[in-house]
Amino acid sequence: MISHAPILAILLPLFAAFLMPVIGILSRRRGIKRAREWFAIAVVLAEFAVVASMLPAVWGGQVLVYQLGGWQPPWGVNLAIDGLNLLVALIVAGIGTLVMIYSFVYMERDTGLDQYYTLFLLIVAGMMGVALTGDIFNLYVFFEIMCISSYALVAFRRKWQSIEASIKYMIVSSLGTSFILLGIALLYGLVGSLNIADLAQKLGQVSPSAVIVPLALFVTGLGIKIAVVPLHMWMPDAYQAAPSAVAALFSGATATVGIYAMVRVVYTLFGAFAIGIMLAALGLVTMVIGALMALAQRDLKRLLAYSGISQVGYVLLGIGLGTVLGIQGGLFHLFNNAIYKTMLFMIAGAIIYRVGTSNMDQLGGLWKNMPVTATLFVVGALAISGVPPFNGFASKWMIYVAGIEAGQPVFTIIALITSALTLAYFLKALNSIFLGQRPKHLSDVKETPLPMMFPIMLLAVLCVVFGVLPQLGIDIVRPAQEAVMNSGGYISAVLGGA
Amino acid sequence: MAGMTVIVRTITRLLFPFTFLFGAYIVLHGHLTPGGGFPGGVIIAASVVMLLLAYGIERAETKVSFLQAEVLESIGGLAIVVLGLLSLLLGVAFLQNKFPLGELGQLFSAGNLPLLYLGVGIKVAAGILLIFYAMLFAFRGDEK
Amino acid sequence: MDFNYVIAMLLVALGLYCLLLKRNLIKLIIGLVVLTDGIHLFLISLGYRSGGAAAIVSGEMFSDLPGFAAQAVDPIPQALVLTSIVINICILALALSLTIYAYRHYGTLDPSKLRRLKE
Repeated sequence: MISHAPILAILLPLFAAFLMPVIGILSRRRGIKRAREWFAIAVVLAEFAVVASMLPAVWGGQVLVYQLGGWQPPWGVNLAIDGLNLLVALIVAGIGTLVMIYSFVYMERDTGLDQYYTLFLLIVAGMMGVALTGDIFNLYVFFEIMCISSYALVAFRRKWQSIEASIKYMIVSSLGTSFILLGIALLYGLVGSLNIADLAQKLGQVSPSAVIVPLALFVTGLGIKIAVVPLHMWMPDAYQAAPSAVAALFSGATATVGIYAMVRVVYTLFGAFAIGIMLAALGLVTMVIGALMALAQRDLKRLLAYSGISQVGYVLLGIGLGTVLGIQGGLFHLFNNAIYKTMLFMIAGAIIYRVGTSNMDQLGGLWKNMPVTATLFVVGALAISGVPPFNGFASKWMIYVAGIEAGQPVFTIIALITSALTLAYFLKALNSIFLGQRPKHLSDVKETPLPMMFPIMLLAVLCVVFGVLPQLGIDIVRPAQEAVMNSGGYISAVLGGA
Repeated sequence: MAGMTVIVRTITRLLFPFTFLFGAYIVLHGHLTPGGGFPGGVIIAASVVMLLLAYGIERAETKVSFLQAEVLESIGGLAIVVLGLLSLLLGVAFLQNKFPLGELGQLFSAGNLPLLYLGVGIKVAAGILLIFYAMLFAFRGDEK
Repeated sequence: MDFNYVIAMLLVALGLYCLLLKRNLIKLIIGLVVLTDGIHLFLISLGYRSGGAAAIVSGEMFSDLPGFAAQAVDPIPQALVLTSIVINICILALALSLTIYAYRHYGTLDPSKLRRLKE
């Protein structure tokens, strides 16, 4: 492990974000081309290396605790990294790196790229902070860093679509974070601590009726972030209006971070395994409504956004079941979802880059122009619909079995039907984009440029690898699942056996 | 934006140095008295915004241009991170106070805290100013 | 007795009311600010102690730290509120800038008119 790796993982993108405007100014003065892009890619690659360097220790069963300013928990702010934290950090760093490489070409036609890369790195820093911190207020602050940067990124192109989407996103999401802050205030008033481990320990001795209100506030606030169904209205707008690279980052990494926060707060902090079944029910509603809404969409990015909502439902269902297999399946699905959802958004971006629209009514017959992209789209669509031998099948299968094992066969049946719906709307999308009649003006559309193709291909390979060798993926998520089930270990590691 | 009447301009000119100084005082005494980087930075930004309102944006920009504010903001942010990293170089945890502590109640005491407040102050002052500039530019686009 | 808690929750309720029922972007933003200010008041009240001293150690108190700790207010909520205020300034600034752009694109501040994306 690189020494001080936990703090470096947060600091690196933060430092780079502050440096980015200066680099932008210098590169314009000196006429250095693409200095920002190369710098940003170097930073996220270093970030990935830092996170990966923590793997051996954490997978060896250790909980890394890093004390900021040398203050002991529960007084000081600390970073605590167990298997769950690391899984999320790994997804964030990996997706961040790939999307950054993708942005290199995808964003080249835009102006104001200083701000784009600054905000991008700030989002990565915020997500990393949420993923690694062991302090509930710190989690809130990093959440806000992530959210404020994402409002700005949604509005990045300043067209009416992006402004409208950004305003909706901002008002709904700010309400959510206000709820989280109120929940934190109530917890602080209740037990007088902000450290997650310390809070978890002290909340065990508080009467359950007192923690219901903060728990409800947290679940509502985080539910808005991860777009659980009654609270999902901002998400399709934001994903449709944001640049595709940003939407890819959101759907791959930000959604993952939101679910992580939900799991950490509900299971570790409140120890509320009893409300898991409520999460599962919410997940069920989310998955069905998301899939039904996706069927009706005419815009590819909007369709992908609704399908993202639907996939989050699967994750919540698995995690909510609370069994070993359920949580493993849920987390594996979270991991897979980050892979293929990012990939599909990148493909949508590639189509927009070449054609200029993602409205499926105006597309068609692109298979002849973009054969590789079309093949990759098929891989992604089959993976997300849970068709073997792709990774979506492995994780969905685990969730189905977990549903039956937990004595909820109805859940499994509904999840199966939703899977069929998923396949249906992706076939529709495939049909109206790559097959069928090609409008005349699309006849000279070219294949996706290679730098954009590279991250998509890499993700497609991952889809196949984890589909053929599911054991590999399960090995990756098992430490995370053990961390979810073992909140006692987390608490004693942070508080030093207190 | 055109600016305001001669009364406003005169009073602003008189008040500007004092407001600025007061902000600087709050920032520099952050480790001793209530206040610190954020309130002090806001006061400094307010003094420039006062100029901006009284004289119009063109005049204020001669004092601090958009680009300068952007660079200053970056420097403020970088200063904080660098101070934190310095602690790592000194072999202790991030942001841990390893500098000589000095005597309690003195201006030059408390290790890295005054430096941190200075960084925060610069960052906040430049940041708030940038927000004002950005909004004014948005309006300026309207007039065209 | 605990008036400030009542006021804080009233502010939160007022902010929520504003967010749910007002039909003007500026009013929505004001509602958001009132809501968070209610939470800030709540947090500050948690650490307040009537007649307590400010949690800043100066020379003469240094000799009697336990005695000082027994009468000082809790500084943590103050730090939290300060952080939260900073965050809210960012949100406020961003919200107002977006409102400027929204007005330019749509010519209205009515959020119910901002639904062209859905068609």
